[in-house]
Amino acid sequence: MHEEITRMLFGVIDELNQLRPAEEHLEKNLATPLAGDSGRLDSAGLINLIVVTEQKTAEELGRPILLTDDRTMSQVKQVFGTLGTLADYIQLLLNEKRDG
Amino acid sequence: MEIKAFTVADLKTALLSEDFWHTKTLPITKHRALSYSHNPRADKDDPVLLVAYQDSQVIGYLGILPDNIFVNNTVYKFGWLTSWWVDPSCATTGVGTILLFKALNAYQQQLGVSGSSKEARKALDASQKFKALKTLKGLDISFRLNVTRAILRKLPRLEIFRVLFKIFDDMMDEVVNLRSFFWRRGNDICQRLSFEYLSSIDEETGQFIQRHHQHDLTRKGKADLNWMMMYPWILSAPLKDSAAKRYYFSSRSEKFYYLGVKVFEHNNEMVGFFMLKVRDDRMSVVYSYFESQHALSVTAAVVYHTLAMDVSALSLYDEQLAASFSELRCPCWSAKAVSREFSLSKALADIPLTNYRLHGGDGDLAFY
Repeated sequence: MHEEITRMLFGVIDELNQLRPAEEHLEKNLATPLAGDSGRLDSAGLINLIVVTEQKTAEELGRPILLTDDRTMSQVKQVFGTLGTLADYIQLLLNEKRDG
Repeated sequence: MEIKAFTVADLKTALLSEDFWHTKTLPITKHRALSYSHNPRADKDDPVLLVAYQDSQVIGYLGILPDNIFVNNTVYKFGWLTSWWVDPSCATTGVGTILLFKALNAYQQQLGVSGSSKEARKALDASQKFKALKTLKGLDISFRLNVTRAILRKLPRLEIFRVLFKIFDDMMDEVVNLRSFFWRRGNDICQRLSFEYLSSIDEETGQFIQRHHQHDLTRKGKADLNWMMMYPWILSAPLKDSAAKRYYFSSRSEKFYYLGVKVFEHNNEMVGFFMLKVRDDRMSVVYSYFESQHALSVTAAVVYHTLAMDVSALSLYDEQLAASFSELRCPCWSAKAVSREFSLSKALADIPLTNYRLHGGDGDLAFY
């Protein structure tokens, strides 16, 4: 499952990079910082990432998730710290859905 | 990072607290907090200010102005986003995103936006949560040439010639004054109008507004306009005080006030009411109420006031007033078509909005 999530997130990065100048392209790497003290995304960039990730999770993994609820917003630095922490969080949400 | 949501009741408490006002950056000014806490459309438990703190210092904030949309006999509560700010040094920490989504969550995704900065617009568009309402079209009319300001803004090194530019401006102003004098004398509309000024909405005007606001998106009434006039966000003050230096948005201007104007025809029939906002040398009509057949008279009354007051520009955000202005053939240097964008979150998309009217002061625009 983690591999599928990672692949989906790399697709998200491809989509975001189309909107960003070449020198600001994000690397397709789980260590890539997103938001936080060493973050690379401004408000519009992070919002874009959240929206595209929600859409692609539903389309490619077949299960919708919500990344804008108060629970996620209370831990933005932890969830969106890097691409890897985001992948872990999506896996947690999907597992919670599966377990009901 | 900690996000605190202040309700109307919390803001009332904050106004009495010393600590709230001691941060290096202020999340709100005292007079704006007074306004938020007296909003007649807000309940005491409505969150109206979200503040992001890091190490007890403010790194971001977002205001919400509770309001109502009226469609037939149904009222829909929502909030206008206002004063969304993030400390530039924290731009990539996610604080702006947290503030926006916390605001959306607090209002069940039901928010509106009236005008916004380029950065805010980019972020709001990225959220895909908002849908544009109809564009409010208007006119921006220059009555004074103001060459001094135009030149010195572009070429500040010519400051030494300020006196010469000013003399030129004064001469041009006299040309306008002369043309205006003849316009007023030759325009019989102005001669058959009389006015009554209001610093708060009286009973007659309240009823007049009520008869004319049925198609308005937010149907402002006596209590709403009184609240705006009584609790401005901008104070008339000559210099920046310590609060203005610590608050990102406008909090003072050399000249700022509202004026309510009742318009009567010669037979003493009230034909219109408009609320003016004067900020420095610019006047705007923020709310106006009249029957279509009196649009020309009301526009003439607005122009008459612009010429009588020492302002150089007039903003009219009403299609009928803007159309009537061309008909009046009033002397001016330029009349530029302008527009204002409003949007509502998609969660409000089910509201059956048809043929609604927006005013130039809707959202938070009456306050700036």
